Amino acid sequence: MIAVLMILIPLLGGIISFFLKKGNTARSFSLLSAVVTMVIMLYGMLAPKGTTLLSFSADWLPMLGTRFSLEADGIARVLTLLTAIAYPLILVSTWQHTYKNANRFFGFMLLTQAGLMGVFLATDALLFYFFWELALIPVYFLCSIWGGERRIPVTFKFFIYTFIGSLLMLVGIIYVYSKTADHSFALDSFYHATLTGGEQSWLFWMFFVAFAIKMPIFPFHSWQPDTYEQSPTATTMVLSGLMVKMGIFAVIRWLLPLLPVGVNNWAVSVSFLSVIGIIYASLIALKQDDMKRLIAYSSIAHIGLMSLALFANNNVGMQGVVIQMFNHGINIIALWIVVEMIEQQFGTRKMSELGGIAQKAPALALLFVIVALANIALPLTNGFVGEFLMFNGIFTSTAYDGNYTLFGTWHLNAANLGIIFTILAGIGIILSAVYTLRAIQKVLYGETNNLTAGGRDIKVNEKWVLAVIVAVIIIIGIYPQPLLDVSHGAVTEVLQKADIGNLIKK
Amino acid sequence: MNALLISAVMGVLMMFSSFMLKSKSAVRNVALAGMFLILVANILDTYGWHLFNIPTEGMMHFDRFSLFFNSIAFACTFIFFLLSARDMEKVGINYAEYFSLIFFILCGIVLVASFQSLLILFLGIEIISIPLYILTGSDKRNLKSNEASLKYFLLGSFSTGIMLMGITLLYGHAGSFDITVLIKAGEKPSSLAIAGLLMLLFAMAFKVSAAPFHFWTPDVYDGAPTVFTSFMATIVKAAAFIGFMRLFSTAFYSLHDQWQMVIAIITALTLLIGNITAVFQQSIKRMLAYSSISQAGFMMLALFALNGTATEGLFLYVAAYSLATIGVFAVLIKMKDYTFEGFNGFARHHPFLAAVNTVFLLSLAGIPLTAGFLAKFYMLKAAVEAGGFLWLVIFAVLMAAVSVYYYFRVIQAMYFKEGDAPVSMEVSRPFQWVLGVLAFLIILLGVFPNALLYWFYF
Amino acid sequence: MYNFLQIRLSAFLLDVNTVGSYIPVALQVLIVVGLIGFLLWATHMLGPKRKTSDKLEVFSSGIGSHGEARQPMAIKYFLVAILFVLFDVEVIFFYPYAVNIKGLGWHGFYAVLMFVGFFLCGFIYILKKGALKWED
Repeated sequence: MIAVLMILIPLLGGIISFFLKKGNTARSFSLLSAVVTMVIMLYGMLAPKGTTLLSFSADWLPMLGTRFSLEADGIARVLTLLTAIAYPLILVSTWQHTYKNANRFFGFMLLTQAGLMGVFLATDALLFYFFWELALIPVYFLCSIWGGERRIPVTFKFFIYTFIGSLLMLVGIIYVYSKTADHSFALDSFYHATLTGGEQSWLFWMFFVAFAIKMPIFPFHSWQPDTYEQSPTATTMVLSGLMVKMGIFAVIRWLLPLLPVGVNNWAVSVSFLSVIGIIYASLIALKQDDMKRLIAYSSIAHIGLMSLALFANNNVGMQGVVIQMFNHGINIIALWIVVEMIEQQFGTRKMSELGGIAQKAPALALLFVIVALANIALPLTNGFVGEFLMFNGIFTSTAYDGNYTLFGTWHLNAANLGIIFTILAGIGIILSAVYTLRAIQKVLYGETNNLTAGGRDIKVNEKWVLAVIVAVIIIIGIYPQPLLDVSHGAVTEVLQKADIGNLIKK
Repeated sequence: MNALLISAVMGVLMMFSSFMLKSKSAVRNVALAGMFLILVANILDTYGWHLFNIPTEGMMHFDRFSLFFNSIAFACTFIFFLLSARDMEKVGINYAEYFSLIFFILCGIVLVASFQSLLILFLGIEIISIPLYILTGSDKRNLKSNEASLKYFLLGSFSTGIMLMGITLLYGHAGSFDITVLIKAGEKPSSLAIAGLLMLLFAMAFKVSAAPFHFWTPDVYDGAPTVFTSFMATIVKAAAFIGFMRLFSTAFYSLHDQWQMVIAIITALTLLIGNITAVFQQSIKRMLAYSSISQAGFMMLALFALNGTATEGLFLYVAAYSLATIGVFAVLIKMKDYTFEGFNGFARHHPFLAAVNTVFLLSLAGIPLTAGFLAKFYMLKAAVEAGGFLWLVIFAVLMAAVSVYYYFRVIQAMYFKEGDAPVSMEVSRPFQWVLGVLAFLIILLGVFPNALLYWFYF
Repeated sequence: MYNFLQIRLSAFLLDVNTVGSYIPVALQVLIVVGLIGFLLWATHMLGPKRKTSDKLEVFSSGIGSHGEARQPMAIKYFLVAILFVLFDVEVIFFYPYAVNIKGLGWHGFYAVLMFVGFFLCGFIYILKKGALKWED
């Protein structure tokens, strides 16, 4: 039942919000809705395993063999939790921001939340596709109405990109559906569909392109920096903190167990793309002056690492990914909050125009530094836990053994691919340290200039929001066990289905 | 049979009311009442209440397929009347005659949906086409309207000629016009049968404006008065598709393998030309003309697949497409400027109209939660189930992605651009209500397509 | 050889279900086209010719032409003419009925009555619309 509420509360909240006349009422109302969602989700997390509290199933379109079925298994739980926690944070941290037609803004924000929840919970392919698209439409309006100067073409590019991807996925879904034994869209039937190796090979790309565009993975990433830059900050937080996770989550739930042979055929190719993405995005991030773009490219690099670890296809790596999805969500939202605060106060995001803020705003500086260090995954921060597990997974992965044909053209025979990938990804981490620290140095330290001389420290509510996030960062950094427990069972189950050896035995 | 006779009588009645009724609102009310009567009579017919019992000598067969489609077409026409009947006044002075012609077209639609003999198909197509030629040219002072009418008439007659030739050849092959006889004769195809089949295929492709027989469509749809374009692009096109489907799923079913490839190529071409050309249009009316071509491409997938899903899907598609397009046109008629710029800032001045228009456009683009999505979904599903032609399915979805470009341009103009969106006439409250109901229907069908498809079986 | 020509061909031609049954039609088309072509060619070759410029003049009943041929004419002429054609064609449908009047019985009579009724409606319509009013 809680699973339905997770979708229903934001959905109804969003619709009601459209009819509220005053902006401030809508703002308070949307916060209320988000907090209620969070409280219920936290209650759901405490529920013992095996209860039906977090799952739901009802008839929807019996003629098509699709049901309205939702279930929060381990991985979905982590992500619904992230969505539920992130929304109040986002709303509180952008509290000061005033929007034209605020009721619509908050309405669209809540509708996006409903879509996201649906994507994370759906265990029916058609339902999943529904929510996948539904999460996109409100974001399209959010960015196009309240975004920056170049918002219309940029958002449109983003929309067309993702739409092409998802349509290809739709063809894939229909194809797999036609191969299921009981003609059903249910996740279980999909897992048991009879697909030959050749079919899996091309189906892999039908699904993966959609997910790769959402993540985004090199070379499907070109919409991302522009969109992050042009969107209103609250939307950017949703996009980068939550929406990006749709892609990774979809790979875990809808790709690895569904097309094990296809994954095996293409794992190395995708890993190469991921590694290229990590290095490439990190190098570009070095050159950025706009803080939003810097974070955007840094996000591409982080996502690349997660995708690399995903296709390492072992337990440690995947657990790292699940943990890191949560952590990355928290960290990047914190980074956007800091950027938003700086932009609100000084009216610019350009690092070259800022400097010496630490003298004027010590609290902001302290919190910013901690968040930034979590972003580089320093030990004792949450980022470290995830990245350590992922690197461990990549290094020990057996997915790369043997001969490979990259993208069907280049033959490759390398025994030590895991080590090479680890080293290359490691370079990405070093670069990430370089650009993050450089940003801190430029923004926080040095001499104050005309612009920053009149700076003041952040307000109490802003302090609280950041303090809560920093607390989460450190707690997970020191004691990640509860989170690991949640994801462990589900990861094992996914890997069992994704394991080809296991498949052959059956 | 009920609907056929009543709509013929209604046509005559409307002719008479042109000189018997003085006020235009009286004419309109008679037409609305008649339309409602036809719809009800058809539903009664569906459930066994035949008001007339006239032997058709096996030339027509009123099965569930035809009656169900008739209901959809009549319901759409009824909504079309509710929305746009008032706007017909501005086309010319012959107000009652326009209704009369539309009722005659409905007769033709019934014939096309329920023919059993190729002769009736021919009659139906002609009864649809001839009033349409007149309606296209009804804006007599407008040169573009005259040109459109003449062009439509010449090309339409040409395609009818091809169709007749095809029917003749088929008669030479099977010795009968009856489609049930043609199925059996199809098991031993001769060159005559194949030639006849191809001619019928081309003639029908012309009527549904599938490429490469689509050249008349943009000019005619653009030149005709906008109210009639709305009717022509939706209900008439839907009827042509139903006739197409009926012909090919019965008469030529045994030859399916032979013509499947031809249909596949026509489908791909239609999708390509319709979508790519629509991208470059500046006038929304012309864009909608091309969009109707591209939507026809999607409906062709049903003919290509020809299975149970395809039949259901075609009904859903026809309903979704007609409802959404009627809605978009109803809003467009109210505008002073038909270009994309004409919609700039529309959302600020008419938030409700902009919102419902967005629903219609999203449905046409095939975004989930609208009927358009499930309609496209059914088509793709049918094509995948037919097997073997996966390239066509992938091509179709890529083209669907292209279509987003031009539909969303309207949304962009309405919501994200500054302007004053000049409206040429008053927007009444009942009009808004009907549009609201229409948008609700589209969303309802987008969540529960069974709300429509259930009635196909029960 | 003789046998083949005599028997197989006639069977081939008489079988209505093959393309072969169209061979007489094709032959006739060939002969018609050939004959016309031949006659045209023959008259062209055989007849005497005088090439003068007068021959290219517009010529009617021995009177030299003057003025514009495209003179505006009242639309009423056309209207009346086309209406005449419409109602005249109606008469054609009575011929088959007249031949079968007994065979079709009362049922046929009602059908024809309905047909005439529809035409009467049309007639009333054009009358009321003023299509036949000659003076304005």
